Amino acid sequence: MPIILDRVSFAYDNGPAILTNASLTIEPTSYALVRGPSGAGKSTLLRLLCLLEEPQSGQILFSGTSVTDIPPAELRRSMAYVQQMPTLLEGTVRDNLRLPFSFKVNENLAPPSDTDLEAHLAKFLLDGVTLEARANTLSVGQSQRVCLIRSLLLHPKAILMDEPTASLDADSARVVLDKAAELAQGGMTVIMISHSETTPPGVTHTIRINDCQLEYV
Amino acid sequence: MTATQTVIEIGPFQLALCLGFVCLAGATSFYHKLDLGRDLFVGTIRTFAQLFLMGYVLKFIFDAHYSWLVILIYSGMVAAAAHIIKGRVKERSIPFVKPMYVTMLLTYTLVSFLVTGVIIGAEPWWTPQYFIPMGGMIIGNSMTAIAIALDRLFSDLKSRRAEVEMKLALGADYREASQDILRDAVKAGMIPSINSLMAVGLVSLPGMMTGQILAGADPLIAIRYQIVVMLMIVAATSIGSLLITGLVRRKCFSTAQRLILR
Repeated sequence: MPIILDRVSFAYDNGPAILTNASLTIEPTSYALVRGPSGAGKSTLLRLLCLLEEPQSGQILFSGTSVTDIPPAELRRSMAYVQQMPTLLEGTVRDNLRLPFSFKVNENLAPPSDTDLEAHLAKFLLDGVTLEARANTLSVGQSQRVCLIRSLLLHPKAILMDEPTASLDADSARVVLDKAAELAQGGMTVIMISHSETTPPGVTHTIRINDCQLEYV
Repeated sequence: MTATQTVIEIGPFQLALCLGFVCLAGATSFYHKLDLGRDLFVGTIRTFAQLFLMGYVLKFIFDAHYSWLVILIYSGMVAAAAHIIKGRVKERSIPFVKPMYVTMLLTYTLVSFLVTGVIIGAEPWWTPQYFIPMGGMIIGNSMTAIAIALDRLFSDLKSRRAEVEMKLALGADYREASQDILRDAVKAGMIPSINSLMAVGLVSLPGMMTGQILAGADPLIAIRYQIVVMLMIVAATSIGSLLITGLVRRKCFSTAQRLILR
């Protein structure tokens, strides 16, 4: 089922309009790249989709249901949002990867075993990072990938990535982009903000935010 | 309370003598250009005026002995505390005063009732000589804790926004997402009360106990009152600040469990 924005308007308190009556349909098999000038509202778009912001008017539908009618915790679990700046808590890499499984909404999910976690780390070229490593000793690039793994462990239906490669070296960036393409091929909706001029492999659509409107280019 | 000696009264002459000392402080301030003269003057006048007023009000209430009047004065004291907390907490976008006032009124009334009615066993429980000063001490002390806890709650929710939203994005509800922040805030508010439990008798001689001793009470009776008061202050402070920060935290999130506070 698609993600539909239906005449959505949004502005931050006392701020200029970000979206005005913007409509867009994102098909479930899309790998969409979001582009637009700095400050146009690319991050806000992702935050609206997972209800970290609420539109002043209009509605957003996910799988045919208005996002406001889906319990927020469930919505966010299926629509995983990976922040631009990776946020890890004090503790080990294992603690951080298992964090979501301590939340009520995820209690019916089996927490991943150490072997699973290590396999995930290896897939993201994080072989050098052990599960016992303190999260605050990781580089920004490593933290970013740990955050991505953490979101994927919940098997979301869609993943919203805010410039996931901004702080990665070329090799790590390629790993993340390949993974994104693989997820999209596997049927996950991938929506990614990108500043880079080149279009990553596998991208099916490019969404442009300009003048408070959303359009495919 | 058993009076072991008669209270020595302070007459107008003695009060005037104290004024002389304040004038001396004023003169020193003037000599050293500390620019404190005006504040000292206003402070002295206010101390006289407020305490004389309070003295007469208390005398009136004690003589009148009406339960409604005691409750009215008590509610006014809680309202004044709520107003002071409102002034100390800088956040204005979250309407926290009403839930705070209601919670303070209920918690403190319950604790004050337990102290006067059950522990001390005053008959009736609202006997103003007990209820007003005991309640006043509970309100005054836990007011600081609530102000610290709320200020910390708001500032941490703002500065640790990324952490809160990270947890929300992974499926946490607002409670799970802000659990650490709430705990830190309540702890920060409680530390002064806990510290005072550690320091009492070693570092500080509390005002109430000192007052009772000056008024001729047996120190062994005075300390018992002080123990009751200190434990009740800690109890009221923890219950009050936990309930209030919990309620106010809810107001920082929308029904869609989005952090509203910016």
